Amino acid sequence: MPLFGKKKKETRPQPPDTAVSQKETTYFGKNLRIKGRVSGNGNIIILGALDGEFNLKGRVKIAQPAKIKGQVKADIISVNGHVQGSLVAKERVHLDQTARIEGQINTPSLSISEGASFDGEITMSGRSPESSKPAAVASVSAPQDTAKSTQK
Amino acid sequence: MAKDNKADSTSLLSKNVKIDGEIHGPENLHIEGYIKGSIKLTGNIFVGSTGIVQADMEAKNIVIQGEVAGNVLAHQQLEIHPSGKLIGDCTASTIDIKEGAVFEGRSNMIKSAGLSAGPSVPPNISAAQSPKKPQS
Repeated sequence: MPLFGKKKKETRPQPPDTAVSQKETTYFGKNLRIKGRVSGNGNIIILGALDGEFNLKGRVKIAQPAKIKGQVKADIISVNGHVQGSLVAKERVHLDQTARIEGQINTPSLSISEGASFDGEITMSGRSPESSKPAAVASVSAPQDTAKSTQK
Repeated sequence: MAKDNKADSTSLLSKNVKIDGEIHGPENLHIEGYIKGSIKLTGNIFVGSTGIVQADMEAKNIVIQGEVAGNVLAHQQLEIHPSGKLIGDCTASTIDIKEGAVFEGRSNMIKSAGLSAGPSVPPNISAAQSPKKPQS
């Protein structure tokens, strides 16, 4: 445990682009372990461990030391940490360099940074997150062009 | 007091977010949302004015400004503010209930039995080292 923790409290990692409603950003620190369901409206940054389910209207940022086991459902999901389970996004998913994913991703728009590791399957059907047809996996390379064009 | 840096970060559960389940770990937690289940932390819990907790809570210090239904164990202090409401039993070393607060339940105090381990230096030890000389 770093002794500098008190200072750290003030400068917790927050992506600059969530400045819209910082007050509403739920923050789960790296020592917090949650077992169960987290739901509601708003943005979440998680550094700790979650065993269960996220069901959010908003943005979920899974930061570097975080470990998620279960399903994450949100509008926008960005991952720096470790996820075992599935990511279901209404808008987009971004896997950053340090992300480690084992499981499924369902999103209409996806970006992956170099260095991220992803073991699993992607469906980009967008509208129907529940229909995990294995057939859709084979066509992952086909809609790549459309996926790229939606990214900046 | 030196133990304060054990829980070095504070987590925040904001207003429109709900947790249904168990929470534990060495953290401080600020609750403005809704929690159902159980909370067990080695840090402090602050239930803000919009916070609603339906859970048993255990922490070092607990401050209640919102609503809590469940049993509460504060290893040090439990504080209920005028806007706070606690329905359930509480256990704490010290309690501080402000006027206007609502508390329905039993209250138990933690007796600090472990204190005997500390060195109890009699305060007059320095006085004994310098024996008074009778002055004329």
